[in-house]
Amino acid sequence: MANRAVPQRPNGQTPGKICQFKLVLLGESSVGKSSLVLRFVKGQFHEYQESTIGAAFLTQTIHLNDVAVKFEIWDTAGQERYHSLAPMYYRGAQAAIVVYDITNQDTFERAKNWVKELQRQATPGIVIALAGNKLDLNTMRSVQTDESQTYAYENGLLFMETSAKTSANVTEIFKAIAEKLPKNETTNTAGQGRRLVESEGANKSLSSCCK
Amino acid sequence: MTTSTFSKTDEYGFVRPDDFDYVEYEKFMSVYLNLLTNYSMKWVRLLLNNSQMKRNAKLKKFVRTGIPLVLRARVWTSVSGVQKLKDRYGPDMYKQMLRKPINEDIRNIITVDVPRTYPDNIFFHPNSENQKTLFRILCAFAACNPEVGYCQGLNYIAGLLLLITKNEESCFWLLRVLVENILPDYYSKTMDGVIVDIEVFSRLVKKKFPEVSQHMNDLDMPWALVATKWFICLFSEVLPIETTLRVWDCLFYEGSKVIFRVGLMLVKHYKKELLECEDIASLAECFKSIVQRPFPLNCHIFIKQMFTEIGSLPMSLINDLRRQVSAERDADKSTYKNRKG
Repeated sequence: MANRAVPQRPNGQTPGKICQFKLVLLGESSVGKSSLVLRFVKGQFHEYQESTIGAAFLTQTIHLNDVAVKFEIWDTAGQERYHSLAPMYYRGAQAAIVVYDITNQDTFERAKNWVKELQRQATPGIVIALAGNKLDLNTMRSVQTDESQTYAYENGLLFMETSAKTSANVTEIFKAIAEKLPKNETTNTAGQGRRLVESEGANKSLSSCCK
Repeated sequence: MTTSTFSKTDEYGFVRPDDFDYVEYEKFMSVYLNLLTNYSMKWVRLLLNNSQMKRNAKLKKFVRTGIPLVLRARVWTSVSGVQKLKDRYGPDMYKQMLRKPINEDIRNIITVDVPRTYPDNIFFHPNSENQKTLFRILCAFAACNPEVGYCQGLNYIAGLLLLITKNEESCFWLLRVLVENILPDYYSKTMDGVIVDIEVFSRLVKKKFPEVSQHMNDLDMPWALVATKWFICLFSEVLPIETTLRVWDCLFYEGSKVIFRVGLMLVKHYKKELLECEDIASLAECFKSIVQRPFPLNCHIFIKQMFTEIGSLPMSLINDLRRQVSAERDADKSTYKNRKG
């Protein structure tokens, strides 16, 4: 395994505040979830990325002005039968990236199902980003940008087309999520927004984890 | 004899990680290689007297001390019950299964997964013969076991079996014996078996190391987050390769209870560090790192301690717990259904 030398962000000045967020990646098998994370965390890309079994855990910090945003990333297995394990991973997550492959319409449909499930069952107020990955294979595209854009808009999702291979929009999508996450200093839930409160207080805003 | 520098690639074709601890490994190997030579001679004598590999206390003890690489495929096949399966299904089954068509979706996912199986292993390079063989094995397996079809993770198991046996058909039968006889329902469409076993594991931890269990609970960390890969990949890609193979030696002889022992050994050895973790993230990091540390790397000590320091763990206890957990899950499901209905 490569050294865990995290590419240093520019302007690596001492941040005034550190915010920690749990982020989960969901999506059909081989759409590029692990590759997006690998690109974001280590700046690397492997043509043949090992299939993720269960889930993998990584962290990466980015800086927004004077705030250091630390992502605790759970990268999950994509095969349908691993679905029953997914709620364990998105439980308490403050953000999610739902990934599909722009060359494969089925993966977009699967992504929509993930969005529905998250909106129904995950932490209320969770920030969801939709990533149309494999933008480097634009010539083989089968999911049109307009279609995804409209869907994302209607469902209140962040949306970007990304390429883990060329790194297009990879840092950008995490940055957009970081910007959208609440960074109020008043709340500090060490367990990272662990339990979702059902029924009463629906849409109760997320508690962030700032220190 | 041993040289002071080890290659970047191990004897199984795996590229050693950049942070591989060569110093620690050399220290261990200087002792272990002598042991291996010694055991190899003992194994040869044993097999002269017990060529059928009839199960007995002596053979079991030998398996626990490690099967020499050259004998591994033969011993795994003999002690695991492959012959019984072959007798039941006929020796030509593999060839028949190769001709049987399989579901298109399953074929597609196998096609995508084969090139991503041990991509760093020199024997699994793109378009290598091993990749083609692995593809055939996984398709034949899906054809003969439509209940399972293909579950991600089986690629790693079949891939490692292939590296050890270097024989397509042996690999197919060993994969079958693992999935159909040794492990309970891990890879089925609902993955019930693995979900149950992870819960069983969590109860065993609670019984044997209550403070770790309490700590995991306090931090809201379900065991499945770390242990799914342990159970699904049988520690391949989790523990160092030699240790994984030593675990598999025991697994083929003694059955699935061995997996629990390995997990409990890891918990026991790293208890202090786990208890020092203050949140899920540090726990996850801790679990990720411990498996590559010197203790699991020293496979000989690891396996020895796993049988001497965990206490008794009979199959009957595991099966009782499995029944108990399954019954609770069924009850939960029906309550849920009734509530919905």
